[in-house]
Amino acid sequence: MKKALVAALLVLTAIPLLIGVASMPPHGDPDAPMHTHVSARYIEQGEEEAGAANIVTAVILNYRGLDTAGEVTVIFTALAAALAVLIGFPAPPKDNDGVPAAPAPLSPVVSFVVRLLAPFIVLFSVYVILNGHVTPGGGFQGGAILGGLFIALTIVLGEGRTRVLLPRRGAPWMQGAALLAFVAVGILGTALTGYFLGYPAESQHLVTELMMLVIEVGIGLGGAAIFATIFLQMEEE
Amino acid sequence: MSTAFDIMLLLFLIATALAVARAKDLLAAALIFSSYSLVMCLLWQHRGAPDVAMTEAAVGAGITTVLFLVTIGRTTRREK
Repeated sequence: MKKALVAALLVLTAIPLLIGVASMPPHGDPDAPMHTHVSARYIEQGEEEAGAANIVTAVILNYRGLDTAGEVTVIFTALAAALAVLIGFPAPPKDNDGVPAAPAPLSPVVSFVVRLLAPFIVLFSVYVILNGHVTPGGGFQGGAILGGLFIALTIVLGEGRTRVLLPRRGAPWMQGAALLAFVAVGILGTALTGYFLGYPAESQHLVTELMMLVIEVGIGLGGAAIFATIFLQMEEE
Repeated sequence: MSTAFDIMLLLFLIATALAVARAKDLLAAALIFSSYSLVMCLLWQHRGAPDVAMTEAAVGAGITTVLFLVTIGRTTRREK
């Protein structure tokens, strides 16, 4: 009876969803609403107006910069919420069903590969962050790669060796780096143009690019620090 | 060719999603979910969104899986 009810509810939910999908314009249709609104302008004038060859970056940091600032706030708030739950709750006693009490010895293959690839991964993440206005990528992507590398290194080298990358005094600044970069650039934009997060006129592309770069580096550092913090806090006994 | 590849990936996506939902061993579920993210990453790349693919690979397949594994290590491996 209960199962039949669940199945009926699922079908009832699926029908409107499928109707919605069926009424969407076909993939790549040039007359679809999303292609006739503002995207034509983004594609045609994005590079001159926003100062970024990568249209995605132009939209994220310039046309919709305020949205991205809000997004960054959401991520920072998520970190605060995760830490509020994790800090002050001691690790529960493990019930040993299947999970060994002592950590399994680390595979030498994993250890070697992580050590070998680490410098190249750092280089790649820096490239992704700094080159985000030309090629696909940017602060979020590079920061995620950097955070992943930090976690891999912590597993391989131990917390003592990687903790120096996230010192206790500097950590709060790094976790908030994305938000701080946005506020700094926003205020600079106010001083230059009179609008919060405003970018200077098209003739001053260098200034615009530098402002975007500050935001990208801030998002990259902040993202990596947030991932690293959550991992370290979860690992802590 | 391209559509066939897409359909293959989508079928694998559905299979892994069902497997995650059905797995009673949470360690297995976390690892299958990691492969789900990997297929999703290929799909993003194939649909022309390389930046999303990059995030999916780093966050979905990498960091999320590690966080799941840490959680399983601190709690229990079996679904109750």
